[in-house]
Amino acid sequence: MSKEQVVVMNKKKKKVKIFPIVNAIIFILISLMIMLPIWKVIVDSFDKTAGYGMNFWPQHFTFGGYGEVVSKVALYRPFIISCIVTIAGTFLGLLLATLGAYVLIQWEMPGRNFFAYMLLFTMIFDGGMIPKYLVMKNLHLLNTLWSVILPLSINVYNLVLMRNFFEGIPEALFEAAEIDGCSPMGTFFRIVLPLSKAALASIGLMFAVQFWNDYTNFKIYVTDNKLFNFQIKLRNMVMDNDIPNNADGIDPNTISNAAVIVAILPFAIIYPFCQNYFVQGVNIGAVKE
Amino acid sequence: MQCKSCNTELPKHAKVCPKCGAQVGKKKSDNIMVVAIVGLVMLFIAGMLPFVQNADVEMISDAYSFMNIDVPAMWYLYMLALIVAIVLVAIKNEKLSIIPTCIAGVIYVVSFLAMNFRGYTGRKSFTLHTLTDLLSNGANGESYKIGLSVFFVVIGLILAIAGCFFDILKYFKKESTVDAKYLTNSINKNIWAKIYYYRWFYVMFLPVFIMILLFNYWPMMGCRYAFTKYIIRDPYYVGLKHFHQMFTNDTFFWLAFRNTLILSIVKLILNTGAAVIISLLLNELTNMAFKKTVQTIVYLPHFMSWVVVASIFRLILSVNGSGMVNQLLTSAHLIKEPIFFLGDVKYWRGTFFFINVWKDTGWSTILFLATLSGISPDLYEAAQIDGANRWKRLLYITLPALANTIITVFILNLAKVMNLFESVFVTMNDAVLDVSNVLQTYVYRKTFGGGNSDYGYTTAVGLFKSFVGMILVLGCNYASKKVRGRGIV
Repeated sequence: MSKEQVVVMNKKKKKVKIFPIVNAIIFILISLMIMLPIWKVIVDSFDKTAGYGMNFWPQHFTFGGYGEVVSKVALYRPFIISCIVTIAGTFLGLLLATLGAYVLIQWEMPGRNFFAYMLLFTMIFDGGMIPKYLVMKNLHLLNTLWSVILPLSINVYNLVLMRNFFEGIPEALFEAAEIDGCSPMGTFFRIVLPLSKAALASIGLMFAVQFWNDYTNFKIYVTDNKLFNFQIKLRNMVMDNDIPNNADGIDPNTISNAAVIVAILPFAIIYPFCQNYFVQGVNIGAVKE
Repeated sequence: MQCKSCNTELPKHAKVCPKCGAQVGKKKSDNIMVVAIVGLVMLFIAGMLPFVQNADVEMISDAYSFMNIDVPAMWYLYMLALIVAIVLVAIKNEKLSIIPTCIAGVIYVVSFLAMNFRGYTGRKSFTLHTLTDLLSNGANGESYKIGLSVFFVVIGLILAIAGCFFDILKYFKKESTVDAKYLTNSINKNIWAKIYYYRWFYVMFLPVFIMILLFNYWPMMGCRYAFTKYIIRDPYYVGLKHFHQMFTNDTFFWLAFRNTLILSIVKLILNTGAAVIISLLLNELTNMAFKKTVQTIVYLPHFMSWVVVASIFRLILSVNGSGMVNQLLTSAHLIKEPIFFLGDVKYWRGTFFFINVWKDTGWSTILFLATLSGISPDLYEAAQIDGANRWKRLLYITLPALANTIITVFILNLAKVMNLFESVFVTMNDAVLDVSNVLQTYVYRKTFGGGNSDYGYTTAVGLFKSFVGMILVLGCNYASKKVRGRGIV
C-alpha cells in the first residue's frame, strides 16, 4: 500500500467515527436551545428579586410566586375556569366526534354521503371571525362559558381522524354483532368503543390540549373578567402588568414567571407518559386521509 | 389490471369486474360537475350582489338587492335552494339538482318583479319602490342601471342547467349492460325500509348536525353582512361599497394581505426545512435512549399555547435587567444598546420566525421520522457494499424516499396559509404593526379595537380572506390528488 492510500483510508475511518459525535453534540445543543428558555423561566419563578440577568440558579430562593398564584382569587379563579372548560369541552368533543364518526362509517345509510360532504365543506369554506361573533351574539352566548366550549367541541378534523380509526375495525365484527342480535347502539357501546380506547385517548388528548390552550375564543367572546381563563390572565399579566399587589416584596415578574410555569404544568406532567398517544394521532391523521 | 374493490385480476378492456360486479375502468368525467358547481356558486354570489344600482360610480352604496326586498324570507329560500342544489351535485346526483336550481331561478324572478324594494336612507328609515319605478324614474331623481347580479344569475343559470342537463343525457344512453343489483353489495331494500333500519343512526347524528349548522353554516350565511352597513344593530344594504373601499382605498388592508403571505410562506419553508434536517439527523442517532430523550424534549414546546410561548420569549428577550438574551449580548460586547427584539421593525420578523421554528419544528419531525423508519435497511446495506458513503446514501436513498412526504406536508400546510392569527396576535404590538399585521389581526383590531366599528366592513375583509383560503384549499386538494392520489379534504 502506498502512503497516499493509507492517508485516504485513515481519513475515511476518522470521518465515520466523527459523525456520530458531531451529531450527538448538535442534538445536545438543540435540546439546550429548547430547554434554556424554559429553564430560565423556572429559575426566575423561584427568584425573589427582579435583577435576574444571567442567573441560571435562583439567588434569593422563594416559593412566593407560586404562593401568589395559589392564594389570590384573581389568579386561581382563571385556573379553575380553564380546568372546567378543558374537562367539559373534552368530554363533549369526544362525544360528538365518536357519534359523528360512527354514523360516517355506515356506508349503506341513506344520506350518509350528504352528511359527509356537509362536514367536509366546513373544512373548505370558513364563515370568518365576525359572522361567528355575530352568531354568538344572536344566540346570547357572549360572556358565558358555552361560547368557548361549544364552537371548539365540534372539530371536523378530529371527527375524520376518529372515522379513520373506526374504519380499521374489521367489518366481520359488525356483522357478527348484528347476527347475534345487537342493536346499532349496542354495537357502538359493546364493540366500537372498547376497541378504540387508543383512539379515544389520542383524540381526547388533542381536545384537551386545544381547550387548555384556547386563547382566541376567550379573547373574542368573553369580556367579563370573572370568566377569563388562565391563558388570558397570563397574557394580561405579562403584557399589561395586571398583577395583584403583594406585600412580601416579591417582584411582579416572579409571579408572571410562576404563572407561565403553572400554565405549562398540566401537560408537562402527563405528556411524557402519553407521548405515544400524541404521536399516534399525528400519524393516523396523515397516513390515512 | 386489478379490480379496485376485490383485487381480482381482470381481463383486458373489462368494464365490470366479473367477481364482485364493481364498475372498473375510466371514472365518470368530473368536468361536467365542475361546470354545474361553478354555475351554482355564481348564482349563490348573485344573491348578494346589487340588482339595481346608481349609475354614478361615486354613489356605489346606493344599490338594491335581494336584501332590500320587503319579504326577507325570500333571500333565505333562494340561498337554501342553491345549497341543496350544490350538495346534490357534490354527491353526484345531478339529475335531482336541476329541481332546486329551477326553484331558485323562479324565486329570483318573482322577488324582483313582484316585491317592493326598501331604499334605506338611514338605519331604520326607508322608502318603498317598485322595480319599474326605480329603473324608469329613479328613487330621488338619480338614474339607475341594472347591477352585476343579473349577469351572474344569467350566466350561472346557463352553466348550472347545462352541467346538470348533460348528465341527464348521459342517463338516457346507458352504457353499462350490467343489472343494477350487481353494482352494490347492499341488500336491495327500498329506501324507506333502509331509512327505518338506520333510524337510530339519524338520532345519533342529530347533535353533530345541529352543532355544525349553528357554528359553521350559520356564520357562512353571515357573509351577507359584507354587503351591509352594520354598526351595533340593524344592518342595511350598501352593495359593493365595502369591497370598493377595500380594494382601492385601504392601504392597511393590502399591507395586511402582503404580511399574511410573507409571514406564513416563509414560516412554512423554514419550519419544513428545519424539520427535514432535524429528522434526518435524528434518524442517524444509534443510541435509542438518547434518541428518545431528544425526541421528548423537541416535542415539548408544541404543547405550550402561543400565549405561553410569547410570554416566555417576552420575558427572556426583555430590554431591562431581567432579559437574558440582551444581557448575554451586551456582556459579550456584541451590541452596545439592548435590542427590542419584539418591538423593532427590523428584528420582529426574524424573531417571529425563530419562535415558530422553536415551537413547531420538533413536532413536525414526527411524520418525516415515520417515513424514514419505513425505508428498508437492506437498501442502505446494499449501497454500503457498493461503496456509497453517508452523503451518497442520503442523496440517492433517503431523500427520494422522503420527497413525497415533504410535498405532502407542504401542501397540507399551504392550505392553511390564510389562517395565521394567534401566533401573530400574541407577539405583535403597535410599534411593529407595519410588518406584523395580518388579515385576521387586522379584522380583530378594527372590530374590537374600540369605538363603534362597522361589522360590515370587517366581514368583507374576512370574506376576502375566506375566499382566498378556499381557493388555496381547493388548489392544494387538486395538487395533492395529482401527487399522491388522494385529496386533503
